[in-house]
Amino acid sequence: MDILAEAFVTPFQYSFMVRALIVSVIVGIMCPVVGAYVVTRGLGFMGDALAHAVLPGMALAFMLGLSPFVGIVPTAIAVAFLIGYMTMRAGVSADTSIGILFAGTFALGLVMMTMAGGLPVDVEDIILGQVLGTSRTDVFITTGLAGVALILIWALHKEFVFTSFDPTGASVIGIPTRALDYTLLALLALVISIALQAVGVVLVISMLITPAATAQLLVRNFTQSMSLGAAIGAASAIIGLYLSFHYNLPSGPAMALVATGFFVLAAAYSRGILGALKKRAT
Amino acid sequence: MNRVSPAIPPLSAENVTVTFGDVKVLNSVSFSAGPGCLMGVVGPNGAGKSTLFNALVGLVPVNEGRVLIHGRSIDDSRGAVAYVPQFEKINARMPMKAEEVVMMGRTRRVGWLRRPGQVDREAVRSALEQVGMWERRSSIVSELSGGQRQRVFVARALAQGADILLLDEIFSGVDVASQESLVSVLHQLRDEGRTILMSSHDINHVAHCCDECLCINNHVCACGAPRDVLTSEVLTELYGPYGLAPVHGGILDGHPR
Repeated sequence: MDILAEAFVTPFQYSFMVRALIVSVIVGIMCPVVGAYVVTRGLGFMGDALAHAVLPGMALAFMLGLSPFVGIVPTAIAVAFLIGYMTMRAGVSADTSIGILFAGTFALGLVMMTMAGGLPVDVEDIILGQVLGTSRTDVFITTGLAGVALILIWALHKEFVFTSFDPTGASVIGIPTRALDYTLLALLALVISIALQAVGVVLVISMLITPAATAQLLVRNFTQSMSLGAAIGAASAIIGLYLSFHYNLPSGPAMALVATGFFVLAAAYSRGILGALKKRAT
Repeated sequence: MNRVSPAIPPLSAENVTVTFGDVKVLNSVSFSAGPGCLMGVVGPNGAGKSTLFNALVGLVPVNEGRVLIHGRSIDDSRGAVAYVPQFEKINARMPMKAEEVVMMGRTRRVGWLRRPGQVDREAVRSALEQVGMWERRSSIVSELSGGQRQRVFVARALAQGADILLLDEIFSGVDVASQESLVSVLHQLRDEGRTILMSSHDINHVAHCCDECLCINNHVCACGAPRDVLTSEVLTELYGPYGLAPVHGGILDGHPR
């Protein structure tokens, strides 16, 4: 018991660990809630692209000595609207234009950071996440942004579900589907912005889609899958945080691996493999 | 149901022209559908059936002419018209229960920032009962058969309180046995005074179950009772001289003129 207590409780003697826990839980909850839409509407590639595309904004904020959020949030929303505009217009191949845009902006961000030099962050931390480095300001901003996102998702829930399920039917009865689509993109941008600290640019996609996909394997109800996904996401983030602390791992890969593990278990369960094993054992 | 006056038809199109680029997809289409009317819309692929439906609900801008719902513009009469899209347009990756889909029809009545109340749940229940799907209310819509699915979407239109229903290719993917029960639901709704437009590839079907038939091939070729309208001249105009095959043994024999 003492060993367990030491492993789980001792880390929280450090205030950086408490801050990291708060941010991890928020990220673990918010990503799958928005991720439920990402998975069912096929926005995965877009989410991945958004996470990469914010790098120039982040680099600029660091160069100016500002909080990274000052650069990340506007860049993410602007890029989300740009991608939304490109994909909603017929005649432009969506994945090609998204690919060009995100590779180009990501490259620009990396070049900016290298050229600026002497920035107060490691490129590796940005790419793989370093939740242990969360500052007090980061905690406040993350909490605030997550609050805004959660209120929007809650308030517009039935409209988001309707437009995602049947866009034609929704616009016929006068629901502003296009405005809702852009609002959802803005939410995606917000959630990605707050997730970058914990999981980094490359692995945001795993927190966004893996817990949501896991939940959808387990429950056949969209709204319930959002809550279950949030629980799985939070669990992945907390376990990942411990792994990161004890084994000195970057937090992104640790959390992503745990989330993937949950997915594999759920897939095995939903295909009855666990059930079959149990039967053999008895 | 908000009928302004018996003289004003629930749904009418006046010289509706829709252009995509340089192509006139619909050329001066005029017709009107009265209350208690089940109207079939037939025409070959690419004739503009879907475009017509989209124009009638305001999804596609009308370049010339106008659409009137109870004598008013589309924007002034949102909610009076319900659209049952082809199932391919539905996001089947979202697991939605039948009752949740029907509740979507209440979205505007419930209003922004509100949750459905007792009145809405009653409306959903009565709509599902009317189409005979109350027992399947907890089933996931994308796992239902084609005919059951269509009945759920018709129930959504009823829960919405619409008195004009547009059904796009309602029989596609519906087996023959289910087609019958679907048609009897539509007849019942028509008898209650609703105006129903359904597009179909199957001209025999339209001839048998509809009161009126709107034949379009870019323009209106004919409009009226199926037995008056589906003449060999009109069918030739619709499908060309070699396109009559589906008709033999069907309407021409079934409805001697």
